Amino acid sequence: MSVALLRKIPFFLALYFFASLAIFAAIDAIPGDPVALRFGKMVDAERVALERERLGLDRTFVERFLLSQKRFVSGDWGKSLSSARATTEDFRAFMPATLELSLCAMAIGVLVGLSVALTGALGTHPWVARLANAIGAIGLVVPIFWIGILLLVVGSLWLGWFPMGGRFDMAAIQPDRVTGFLFLDTLLAGDLTAFGVGVRYIALPALCLSVFPAASVASVTWARLQEPELQAFIVALRSRGFGTARILWKHLLRVSAGPTITVIGTSFGALLGGAFLTETVFSWPGIGRYLVTAILERDVFVAQNLLTFLVLLVVMVAFVSDLVVLRLDPRKGGDA
Amino acid sequence: MVKRLVVLLLLVSGIVLVGCGPKSQSGGEAPKVFIFARGSDAQKLDPADIDDGESVNTLTQICEGLVRFKSGTLEIEPWLAESYSVSPDGLVYRFNIREGVRFHDGTPLDAEAAAYSFQRQMDEAHPAHLPEAAFSYWSYLYQDVVAVEAVEPMVLEIRLSQANAAMLRSLAIFPAWLISPKSLERYGSEMQRNPIGTGPYRLLEWRRNEAIILERNPDYWAEEPAFERLVLKVVPDNTTRLLQLKSGAIHGMDGLQPTEVAALKEDPSLTVYEDAGLNVGYMALNLDRERLSHLDLRRAIALGIDKEAFATVALEGAGRPASYPLPKGFLGYPDIEDAKVYDLEAARRLAAPFKRSFEEKPLEILVMNAPRPYLPDPVTAATFVKSQIEAIGIPAKVVALDFKTQLDRLRNGDFETALIGWVGDNGDTDNFLSVFFGSWAAEKGTATNYSFYRNPEMDELLLSARRAIEPEERARLYEKALALWKRDVPLVPLCHGDNIVVLSSQFEGFRLQKIGDLRLSEVRPRAK
Repeated sequence: MSVALLRKIPFFLALYFFASLAIFAAIDAIPGDPVALRFGKMVDAERVALERERLGLDRTFVERFLLSQKRFVSGDWGKSLSSARATTEDFRAFMPATLELSLCAMAIGVLVGLSVALTGALGTHPWVARLANAIGAIGLVVPIFWIGILLLVVGSLWLGWFPMGGRFDMAAIQPDRVTGFLFLDTLLAGDLTAFGVGVRYIALPALCLSVFPAASVASVTWARLQEPELQAFIVALRSRGFGTARILWKHLLRVSAGPTITVIGTSFGALLGGAFLTETVFSWPGIGRYLVTAILERDVFVAQNLLTFLVLLVVMVAFVSDLVVLRLDPRKGGDA
Repeated sequence: MVKRLVVLLLLVSGIVLVGCGPKSQSGGEAPKVFIFARGSDAQKLDPADIDDGESVNTLTQICEGLVRFKSGTLEIEPWLAESYSVSPDGLVYRFNIREGVRFHDGTPLDAEAAAYSFQRQMDEAHPAHLPEAAFSYWSYLYQDVVAVEAVEPMVLEIRLSQANAAMLRSLAIFPAWLISPKSLERYGSEMQRNPIGTGPYRLLEWRRNEAIILERNPDYWAEEPAFERLVLKVVPDNTTRLLQLKSGAIHGMDGLQPTEVAALKEDPSLTVYEDAGLNVGYMALNLDRERLSHLDLRRAIALGIDKEAFATVALEGAGRPASYPLPKGFLGYPDIEDAKVYDLEAARRLAAPFKRSFEEKPLEILVMNAPRPYLPDPVTAATFVKSQIEAIGIPAKVVALDFKTQLDRLRNGDFETALIGWVGDNGDTDNFLSVFFGSWAAEKGTATNYSFYRNPEMDELLLSARRAIEPEERARLYEKALALWKRDVPLVPLCHGDNIVVLSSQFEGFRLQKIGDLRLSEVRPRAK
């Protein structure tokens, strides 16, 4: 296990390096001088030159890249050119909302995905299997904003069960900000009503964002359960007289956990991508929207640091999920 | 067993989702909170250092200036100054500050306090001249101001180095709004999230990218606003915003797609406010490019675009065709519109000698890919212009870019032609024509004169008109300037985009402002 772990570290480090270089180069290549564009309608060439120098934008590509890495690692992420706020402050303001949304979506996705796949695998009627398959397929192809608007129309406009976007009631007092995670903060404040309000607000966006992970988990788990050895395994368990519940909980969940966790790890990146669309449709004040605005506004330092962080996060999640899989199934540690 | 399990698993997810069950949205009878939704949040709340519309619209509720535009007009009225006078040579402005006005933090307004908001912009050594602020409007609209001083406790004097006919209007807009000096001393760089003005509402809470929550200023000196709270909510998605308005979750919105407007007008529960915006969308012809340095070709393009058809196709009714490069009603705008109109035959004839060059390399039309106030559907607009230009025999191609990239290429002259526009700041003719035609605005890198039109005669007219005080004299000079534009065709005006705001019909009192600011303090519940 530890050998396998050590082996993966250089791989992930290289992945991080090339990804952050790619991000830096891509943002650098966007046309338009961020400082001149920040000056709005009327540009004063002299002041632009001074400001570029102050920000270090007049140096060479390699110098700027190294400087940006140094700053990223030391946590000095600079200031937004458009709002003059520290990037780290904005990061703390918007990242928890996105993580909260992504984790809820992932939880729902895994729950629904597993239910669908296991139901399909154990189902005695062929239509159960077909339905499970269909759900998986649909979830992978339907655009997320379309699902979002559908959920809003049905859940808010027709049924009136959920608010139409936003993260918290405009009229209600928000709990003191401790962690930035609304659920944790409401619980820390012991305010269950506020917690309930938070749940109603997150429900639709989380459901919307959960469609993709649900479908991925369902289809991967489904494929795993269709493997002949597992089918034989199920038959063997049944012939020993074990009940469905026992087969499910004691055996199938465990054997199907590996691929499921890998999917969780790899679809986390896709989830963060989907977060932007979900955040837009549901007016969710998250990092996805903030980041896209930053790129469009040429807020280069914000964009570089946030993207680098998100890449690091996705790489780490993939790394951890690899470790968990290894733990569950030590055979994979061999010479993979 | 299996079925029970399935039901259980699916139910668990269901229960988690439904949570605490339904609650009705706010709204109903005589609301105390007015919720207005828009597509994005304010950037920063320092009136001296902003240029995004959402920041301006937020500060409109919080801050005020010495003078302002009389509601719904381009007429100046005294506001935080009770009265004012301008010296005959146009160099000295005296403002008698209104008695009894206080900033939201309790600081009384006097001439010293008023002067502070100007001095911090003009004096680089001033303690409130924040290092991260660009103060870009100061060097643009107020460059003629040399001193701002309290000459008596309640008398403020603004002195200019040379007369500037647009100055009074410029003093009515956001960079000249007053901020409590005490708050600037107290907050320093943090002031941009704690704007302390004298306006009808004050900032209560800013949940960024979510909402700005304002509360009624209990000590407001003028008419008290009708609502206890005013919420400026951020709803980035157009469809969601409209759904919210229809469901009553919000009371008003802007940022509508032109295609939606017609249907909304039919809905009795909503009121659509629509007026010509203070802007012009135009086609810039880069005179620095050899192919466009030929007058005949430029004239052919101008004659070949059917603006009536353009307005129908590209604006879908959310704007009007433009004959001149400035909005109707501006000083110098001709009484009788005689700008050359659509003439396909003449255009074809003029374009004929240039065909070959464009057959090798089509005419490039740069355009932005997201709506602007003067072009609600830019790509459709550009496609239409392309088809019109091809109809006169000149092959063309559309290059759609994001706005900032387009802006960068325009400022650097890195394009052949472009659809672009200008949103006026202070309602003065100078604020359009100098921006488009002044040779001082044609420096590569910082240009606003995207045609790179340089004509000493034009410069002379524009500068004289800026320095002249008598409106008749100015109008005469601007008419001459427009005659030069018509002769040389550095740009082709296309349209004026409309300002559109929709409110729920349970409210009244709202008026669209000419310069496009959003005075929500005038809104009140409709009398039954």
